[in-house]
Amino acid sequence: MGERSITTINRRRAVGLITAGLAAPFVSRWAGAQPAWPEQTAVPDILKGSGEVRIATWGGALQQAEQKAYFEPFEKLTGIKVRALPGADQAKVKAMVETGNVEWDIVQLSNGSIMNLMKSGDYFERIDYSLIDDGVGKEYRSEYGLEMLVWASVMAYRTDAFNGAAPASWADFWDVGKFPGSRALYGIGSEHPELEFALMAAGVPADKLYPLDVDKALASYEKIRKSVTKWWTTGAQPPQMLTDREVVMTTVWNGRMAALQEQGVPATICWNQGVARRDGWGVPKGAKNKANAMKFVAYSTMAIPQARFALSIPYGPVNEGSFKYIPPERMALLPSAPEIKKQLIQYDYDWWIANQDMAVAKFNKWLLA
Amino acid sequence: MSDSSMTPSMRILGGRREWSRWRRDIPWLTPLLLAAPLLLYMAVFYAIPVVSMLLRSLNDPKWSLDHYAALPSDVVFLKVLWITLSTSFIVTLATLMLAYPVALALSRARSTAPLILIVVLLPFWTSVLVRTYAWMVLLGRHGMINEALMALGIIEQPLRLLNTTLATEIAMVHILLPYMILPIANALRQIDPSLALASSGLGATPWGTFRQVTFPLSMPGVAAGMLLVFVLALGFYITPAMVGGSRDITLSMLIAQEVDQLHWGYAATLSTLLLAVALGLVAIAQLLPGVGNTFRTSK
Repeated sequence: MGERSITTINRRRAVGLITAGLAAPFVSRWAGAQPAWPEQTAVPDILKGSGEVRIATWGGALQQAEQKAYFEPFEKLTGIKVRALPGADQAKVKAMVETGNVEWDIVQLSNGSIMNLMKSGDYFERIDYSLIDDGVGKEYRSEYGLEMLVWASVMAYRTDAFNGAAPASWADFWDVGKFPGSRALYGIGSEHPELEFALMAAGVPADKLYPLDVDKALASYEKIRKSVTKWWTTGAQPPQMLTDREVVMTTVWNGRMAALQEQGVPATICWNQGVARRDGWGVPKGAKNKANAMKFVAYSTMAIPQARFALSIPYGPVNEGSFKYIPPERMALLPSAPEIKKQLIQYDYDWWIANQDMAVAKFNKWLLA
Repeated sequence: MSDSSMTPSMRILGGRREWSRWRRDIPWLTPLLLAAPLLLYMAVFYAIPVVSMLLRSLNDPKWSLDHYAALPSDVVFLKVLWITLSTSFIVTLATLMLAYPVALALSRARSTAPLILIVVLLPFWTSVLVRTYAWMVLLGRHGMINEALMALGIIEQPLRLLNTTLATEIAMVHILLPYMILPIANALRQIDPSLALASSGLGATPWGTFRQVTFPLSMPGVAAGMLLVFVLALGFYITPAMVGGSRDITLSMLIAQEVDQLHWGYAATLSTLLLAVALGLVAIAQLLPGVGNTFRTSK
């Protein structure tokens, strides 16, 4: 009943309503050194509803952050119950939609995965952009997925390994003479090989990376092969190897480094020449609570929820309006913060989707040779 | 109509008589009924999903043998298959060599048998992931083994133990040992002790008795253990990924990658092949003299 009345509201005006509906953030001091978290106290009526929304997440620390930043306030403000289900996976979306047994209303995936699935069939619903906040940058909007966080694949190293010298580029990572010690790079798994890094190490300028020259990248990999102790598979491995002093330098997903640094492990990130990647929300085709899903997608990309998320886990917000709620020391950890964004290269999902079979096959063959 | 004229006890007696006739005429009826719940469970939750998954190797995206035709020219697949088979083989042999003496001790021991059994089974009850992490702690560059060797002055530089094929094999052997020890110990315990007495009574040395009596009679257990360990080793995924070297890529890892990249037809083809290798081994084991009995019902 409530859902029906929404459709009668002019959707264009809804965007304005969302912005107007934002109450002044209620700022409170959290115990200890926690930065102040902005609170949202109201949402536009168009986002309110009933029933539930089932969200597939990646579990772990990420889901905990989403719980505090999105799920709890969304339930309170809209009356829609959130059921978080860890185990988001593009292959499962494919299976669910093909068998007509869609158990998720929203799934967290990279936009690459969403585009990849859409290439072979009709697996996602169109995002309802009439509900989405104006602050969400154009580059994060695509037809079947709305990106909601920016992460980065970067270099990390032990600060105690090189007598105070700090590697600053992939050329340094490849320079075993100047920075001795074992390395780790991404190997075989669900992600793509880090060909961008190999190419930059070989001197290809950041703005001329795409289309990637796979053979050149493999030739560059060959130069460092002997120093690579581990071709890692899961995101937990690089921080583990840095902690255990198994390697002095590795590639890593930036969010994984926060916990490590909190534990006092002398290791840090080099942002320069990292690759910025994005994760988004997709709504699987035939999702039972599609209307609620669209409301959640809209809510979670508003300025305050996005800022809360970035305060909880070091992934960058996609809403321009979020940065004013985030203190400068936190901005230094977020891949979408202006100062860091300009050091990163934007991952070209289109190139990868068109060429991943060829690139991965060549890389696998090289790794096993 | 006639039923209503029967007393309840007559009906039961009639039913019983009918039932024994059924049982006499169809001897496999009772076993079938006893196994029915499990068969149904396996059909619904195992056979149907597995078959429909394997069918993808033939009909994704269209009916053809294209995926199978691509296998012989896929260099990566051939290499990974070879790595998987050879790792499984080495692990099986190493497991056998470590397991046999333990199985022998287990079968001979009286008062210490429960203790040995607990020592064998304790790791068995711990998750594979936990045990794999434990090997990382032990074998690491700054792990316990390297630190100890360096403290003793035996080595100056840490040895590279972790992230090697050796590490994969060590961790896999550790995980698979109980699967080898238990069938062998079971086979050894079933050997009539009077045979060994007779053998020594006829002048055989203890070694001769072992070589000519005990060992040959334990072969069914050895074969069962080797088969079990080899087939399980074929499917390893987490352990090689965590502790293995750059070339320790198993067929399971390749299948996972193909699934992630949405090449389900090809992933199904690789899975079918893995299943075929395992079934082929079971079939070969059946043909070996004395071994086939392990899997047949004793009469």
